[in-house]
Amino acid sequence: MTVKVRFFARFRELLGTDIITEPGNGTVLANLVRDIAQKNKEGYDAIFDEQGSFREFVIVMRNGKRVEIADAGKTAVVDGDEIAVFPPVAGG
Amino acid sequence: MIAIQHEDVDIGNLISAAKSAGTGAVVVFDGVVRDDNIREMELEAYEEVALRELEKIAGDATRLHNLLHVDIIHRIGRLSVSENILIIVVSAGHRPDAYAGSRYIIEEIKKGVPIWKKELTKDGGRWVPGEHAHGAGKNS
Repeated sequence: MTVKVRFFARFRELLGTDIITEPGNGTVLANLVRDIAQKNKEGYDAIFDEQGSFREFVIVMRNGKRVEIADAGKTAVVDGDEIAVFPPVAGG
Repeated sequence: MIAIQHEDVDIGNLISAAKSAGTGAVVVFDGVVRDDNIREMELEAYEEVALRELEKIAGDATRLHNLLHVDIIHRIGRLSVSENILIIVVSAGHRPDAYAGSRYIIEEIKKGVPIWKKELTKDGGRWVPGEHAHGAGKNS
C-alpha cells in the first residue's frame, strides 16, 4: 500500500515533505512517522521525545482530521492515507 | 470570498462588495508584516485543511454574530514589510455585530488554522511560535 506523509514548517525543513511510503499491513501511524523521522536526528528530536513518543505540542492529522497523539500508536494506516505532522499553528 | 493565495487583494473592492441594503457597518481587519528587524516573511499553509477551517470559521461567525457578508483572504509565500498578510472584511446590520464577528474570526484563525510564518532576517530565519500550544483544534 501507499501512504503519503506531509511535514510542515520547521518539520518540513528538517525532514522534507510529500514523502511517499509503502508501509506493511498493520503499520501504525506513530511507527510510520518515526521511521521517516529517523533519517534526520534534528528532525526526529523535534517531533519525538526521549521515550520515542510524539512531543506534546506536535499535531498529527490523517486525511485532514486530527489524530490525538495518544492514539497514534494504535491507529493503523491504510492504502491512500495522507498523514500530516506539524508544529503549533501561527497564522493570522 | 474565502481564499488562501499568493496574490494581494484590493480591499476597496472588498468593502464595496460587502455592502448590501441591510448593511449598517463594515469592519476591515488588515494584518500586515511588521518590521521586527526582518527582511521578509515566509508564510506556509496546509492549504486544503486551512481553507476548510477558514470556511468553517466564516460560517460560525456569520451565525454567531449575524453577519451579512464575510471575506477572509490569507496570503502565503514571501511577503515584505508592510505587505498584507490577512484581510478580513465583515458586514452586519449594526456595529457591535460587525466588530464582534471580525474579532471572532481573527481569534479563531490564531487558534487552529494550519498556517505558519517564518521571519527571514539577515542572519537566517526564525519560525514564529503559535499563540496556542496545540493549534489545529480538536474538531479539525
